Amino acid sequence: MAEATLTSNRLKGLGGTLAKQGILIAFIVFMIGFALFSEKFLTSGNVMTVIRQAAIVGVMAIGVTVVVIGGNLDLSVGSMLSFSTVLVVDLHDKIGPGEAIAVMLVATLVLGALNGFLIGYLRLNSLIVTLGMLSAIQGLTLIYTGGQNVDISHQDTTWFAVFGRGQVFGLPVPILIFAVVAVIVHVVLAYTPYGRRVYAVGGNPMAAVFSGIRRNRVVACSYLISAFCTGIAAVILGSRVMGSQNNVGQGYELLVLAAVILGGTSLLGGSGSVLKTVIGVLILGFIQNGLLLLGYAYYVQWLVTWVVIILAVWLDVAAKRGRLFSPIA
Amino acid sequence: MTKMIQKSVAAGVVASGLALAGGAQAETMTIGITQNNVGVDSYQTTYEKAFIEAASKNPDVKTIVLDAGGDVARQIAQMQDLIQQQVDAIIIWPTNGKAVVPAVRKANQAHIPVIVTNSNIAKEGQEFIASFSGPNNITQGAYSAEMMCDALDNKGQIVQITGQPGYTTAIERQKGFEDRLAEVCPDVKIIESQPGDWNREKSQRVMEAFLTKYDDIDGVYAGDDNMGVGALNAAKAAGRKDIIFIGATNFSVGYEAMARGEYYGSIYQSPVDDAKNALQTAIDVIKGKDVPKMNYFDTPKITQKNMDQFSKPVF
Repeated sequence: MAEATLTSNRLKGLGGTLAKQGILIAFIVFMIGFALFSEKFLTSGNVMTVIRQAAIVGVMAIGVTVVVIGGNLDLSVGSMLSFSTVLVVDLHDKIGPGEAIAVMLVATLVLGALNGFLIGYLRLNSLIVTLGMLSAIQGLTLIYTGGQNVDISHQDTTWFAVFGRGQVFGLPVPILIFAVVAVIVHVVLAYTPYGRRVYAVGGNPMAAVFSGIRRNRVVACSYLISAFCTGIAAVILGSRVMGSQNNVGQGYELLVLAAVILGGTSLLGGSGSVLKTVIGVLILGFIQNGLLLLGYAYYVQWLVTWVVIILAVWLDVAAKRGRLFSPIA
Repeated sequence: MTKMIQKSVAAGVVASGLALAGGAQAETMTIGITQNNVGVDSYQTTYEKAFIEAASKNPDVKTIVLDAGGDVARQIAQMQDLIQQQVDAIIIWPTNGKAVVPAVRKANQAHIPVIVTNSNIAKEGQEFIASFSGPNNITQGAYSAEMMCDALDNKGQIVQITGQPGYTTAIERQKGFEDRLAEVCPDVKIIESQPGDWNREKSQRVMEAFLTKYDDIDGVYAGDDNMGVGALNAAKAAGRKDIIFIGATNFSVGYEAMARGEYYGSIYQSPVDDAKNALQTAIDVIKGKDVPKMNYFDTPKITQKNMDQFSKPVF
C-alpha cells in the first residue's frame, strides 16, 4: 500500500532528472554564475590554477572516499597532512628528496595502519578513533618540530619542486597526480574484487561477513589507502609551498569530508564513487576561487559551501525517495 | 620533554627560593609568566627559550614559566595559581584580549603587578595592568607603508594580505599601513585586501587569485613574512616579475628571499628582544622604577640594503 502511494507520487520527468543530477547541475549553475560576474573566471589560466589548488584536497578526498564507502569515517587526515608535510619538508634537506618522500610515506602508512588496526580489527568506532587521532597526530607533529616551522633551503634547484610547481605536456603536475590517483582508485573500486568487498562491507557488514569477506582486512586496507593518498597530497603541498607550518593541514579534514559528501557518497557506506568525489572537489575549488575573484573573503566560502552541501544532500535524498518533500522518510 | 623538565626545575627552584626568602634576606624576586601557546609556532617557541635564558642569567630572578596551550580557561586557572603563590609580578601573553581581563583584575586586587606581553589586552583591562611590553604594530604597519612608498616612488597599485581576522596584531598592522600609506603615498592605491590567516599556503592561494584578477600589480603588503613568501611563491610560479613584496615580522624564509633579491623588505621583530623586554619591564616594575604604560621594544625596518646589519632570524 505504502509502496504504491509512494510510487504514484514519484518525481517524474524534468523534476526527477534534475534531482538525480543535482550535484552536476549545482556545479554548472555555479560555473555560469561566476563566469557572468568575473570575466577572468573561465580563462584557462584560472581553471588550471583552481584544479591545481584543488589537487591537494582532491587526492586526500579520493582516499577518504574509499573509507566512507566502507562504512567508516576518517577525520584524522587533516593533521596527518600536517605531519606528513612537515616530515617530508624537514627531511628533504637532511637526507635528500627521494629518501624524504620514502620515509614520510612509510611513517604515514604506519599512522594509517594504526587507524586500520583500531577500527578494522578492534572494531572501535571510526569517528572516535580518527577524531582522537586528529589531535594525537597534531601533538606528534608539534613534538617533532618543537613548534618551529620547517623550510627547504634551495628551492630553485631541487627536483622536489616538480610535484607542486612542475609541468608536463603543459599540464601542471599536481593536476596529473590528481588525475592518476583518481583513475587508479576508481579502477580499484569499480573493477577489482577488493573494490567490490569495500562496497559489500559498507553496504551490509553482516551479509559481507557471512559471505566470507574478511571485513577486518578490507576496512584496515581502506585506512592504508587513505593514509597513502594523504602522503601523496603532502608531497604536492610541501613542494608547492617549499616549507610547512605545524598546522598546515588544519581544517582539511572537513574540506575533504565536504567534498566526499558533495560528490554524493553516502556517509552510511555502501555507495558512492571516486569520480563523483572529483566533481565534489572541483565544486569546492571553484566556489572558493570564484568568491575570491568576486572579492569576498575566504570565510564567506564556508557559508556558501554549507548551503551547497545541504542542497546536494537534499537533492540526493529526494532522488532516492522519488520526491522533494516526504512526510515519512 | 626538555621544556617540561625546565618548567618543573624552575618551579622547584622557585619553591626553594620562597622557602629561603623567609629566613635569609635574599633580594630575589619571583616572576610568573603564562604564555599563549608555546608549541605551535616558531616565534613563541623562541620567545620561551629566550625568556628562560635571560632569567637564568639574572641571579636575583626566579621564574615560574607556564603555558596556556592556547586555552583561555587554562590561562585563567594559571593566573589564579600565580596569585595564590603570591609572586612578585605576573607576565601574561593573552590567549584572548577580553576573556583574561577578570583574572588580570584579580591579580591587581591582590597587589600583584601584571605585565602584558606581545599582544595587548582589551581596553577595559588597561587600568589593571602595570605595563604593556611588546611591538608597536601600528608603527610596524606604518614602516611597511613607508618602505612600499620608497620602492614604488609614489605610484602604482598594490594588494594587501592581512593576518587572521580578529587578531589585534592583524588589525593594527593593517590600520598602520593603510593610514600611513595614504599620508606618504597618496598615489599608491590598495586595490584589494584579503586575509591570509598567517598561513603561507592560504596566502599563496589568495595571491594566485589576485594574479588572475589583476593584470597589473606593482606591490604586495603581507601582514607577516610567512604570508609574504607565499605570495612571492605564487608570483614566481605565474612568471610575474617586478612586483615589490613587503612583509612584517621577518622570518628566515623572508630573510633568504631578500638575500636572493626577490623580496624588498620587512620589519625585524625579534622574539628574543620581545622576551627580554618583557622580563626587564617586570623587573623594573617590581623595583618601583618608572615604566611607561606602553613599553614598546624597537622593531626596525629591514631591507635588502641594510640586511647585513641583522642576523638571520632563527624561525
